[in-house]
Amino acid sequence: MVATGEQRTYSSVSVSPLSFWATTAEEREESFRLLREHDPVSWQVPLEGSLMPPQQQGIWAVVRHEDIVYVSKNPEIFSSAQGVQQEEVPGDILAAAESFLGMDAPEHSRLRRLVSAAFTPKQVAKIEDQIKNQAEQIVDDLLATGDCDFVEQVSKRLPMWTIYEMMGLDPAKRETAAAAADGMVSWADEDVAAGREPGQVLNESLVTLLSTGMEFAEHRRKNPANDLMTNLVQAEIDGEKLTDEEIGAFFVLLSVAGNDTTRNTITLTMKALCDFPEQRDLLLEDFEGRIDTAIEEFVRWVTPVMTFRRTVTQDTELRGRQISAGEWVVMFYSSGNRDESVFADPHRFDVTRRPNPHVAFGGGGPHFCLGNMLAKTQLRAIFDQLLHRAPKLEVGEPSYLVGNFVRGVKSMPCRLG
Amino acid sequence: MSFKDEDEVARYIGGIFQEAFKDEELGPTLADTGLVVSFRYTEPDAVLTVDMGNHQVYQGERDDVDPSATMYMKAETANAYWQGAVNLPFAIARGKVTVEGNVASLLKLAPLGSKLFSVYTGMLERDGRQDLLVDK
Repeated sequence: MVATGEQRTYSSVSVSPLSFWATTAEEREESFRLLREHDPVSWQVPLEGSLMPPQQQGIWAVVRHEDIVYVSKNPEIFSSAQGVQQEEVPGDILAAAESFLGMDAPEHSRLRRLVSAAFTPKQVAKIEDQIKNQAEQIVDDLLATGDCDFVEQVSKRLPMWTIYEMMGLDPAKRETAAAAADGMVSWADEDVAAGREPGQVLNESLVTLLSTGMEFAEHRRKNPANDLMTNLVQAEIDGEKLTDEEIGAFFVLLSVAGNDTTRNTITLTMKALCDFPEQRDLLLEDFEGRIDTAIEEFVRWVTPVMTFRRTVTQDTELRGRQISAGEWVVMFYSSGNRDESVFADPHRFDVTRRPNPHVAFGGGGPHFCLGNMLAKTQLRAIFDQLLHRAPKLEVGEPSYLVGNFVRGVKSMPCRLG
Repeated sequence: MSFKDEDEVARYIGGIFQEAFKDEELGPTLADTGLVVSFRYTEPDAVLTVDMGNHQVYQGERDDVDPSATMYMKAETANAYWQGAVNLPFAIARGKVTVEGNVASLLKLAPLGSKLFSVYTGMLERDGRQDLLVDK
């Protein structure tokens, strides 16, 4: 129900069309800056989707840092259970693809606790060793290859390797699974779709990941090993275990959340370190002392997940706007991470920035990125290798993915110098 | 429980669409999709083709309609599917449902899903077919 008395007019600054998402992040930031200043909770035309017709009259765009944190920390008002993507996705697909990302308490807490239980200290230590070795191997290969596509040769390899190695997935199945994970977030891109309809790309990708995950879970029930999938099938809290379907959906989530996010952060951080060589020098002067602080700036700068959505469970008010139960609120993390009221000189890439309360892993609350430590471990390992062993590495212009969810880079040339 | 023969499949699964076509809201929306979907069931064997644009349901093999997508499954799965108890991506991943043709076109039906499910359960309840109602 729309509150009486309020006229809904769409914001004059629109962030909905796909053409907006085909511009660069810097160009989009100009619109976000205007919205932060003049229309921080704006009523927008439903974001252009390609799967099914919008069922909503509009969406509320939340662009200020403070409001993103508020929405994130009040899940009883801003629910995830009806999906977290800003375009209309069929319910069946949501249920199969979003795992606990698309749930509220108590289901969310139960599933997240079971999954967290699989990350035992022993498993985490093993994963850290794996990541260091993988980063070293990737840079060995880069040095042997020479000038190449950085995405293909470096940033794409590490997250896929990390995720599927820790899961224990058969190496022969990893490429297919990673390609499907790409399809899950890039159905709107013409190159990825290659003539297929967006819904077909999404469905094929989803079914591939689900069947891989469920078959793998069945396999590990019968043939346990020392890996995360074994821990997942064995995880038990208060007599409850995960079903193969739940593990299948989690496998989808892990494949998507673990692949693209870190990949694009590695790519665009490398670009930033090339664009701002004085920051690269500053980091290298004391790598061990500065890398942890720098990583926070890497993820703020890149903001690999640009948006997440919530559905309002009860009539509420935000910055004087009356929001009705059932309406959609979309958080624009890219905007929150450039909010001038929180970050001094927000357009400056500063590897020593402190404090750095970015919202790149989410604005807090129950859905804060479960994989944030894993991502940081990967970023530390790969930049340790890259900056020390390929000191003259330079990159060219990235080719961006068109989409309103992850900030993706399809390719980016690099020269070893 | 499942259906006894193709006629019963046509009566109930076909009936969902025949009833929905008459509905003020669902009728035009289904027509607007312009979809032609074929359902090929086993146990019992049954073929239904639904031409949404022309509000027609055909029983049995037809050469004169060209479906945009064909869905294969057991009749028992179809019964559960139309009550909203089958998740399509999971069912495809498990091999319980196979889709040939344009899967994306089926997504056009997604927003109507819950309404079509109520049409179906309403029919079953009206006919006293508790044997076909599934627990969700």
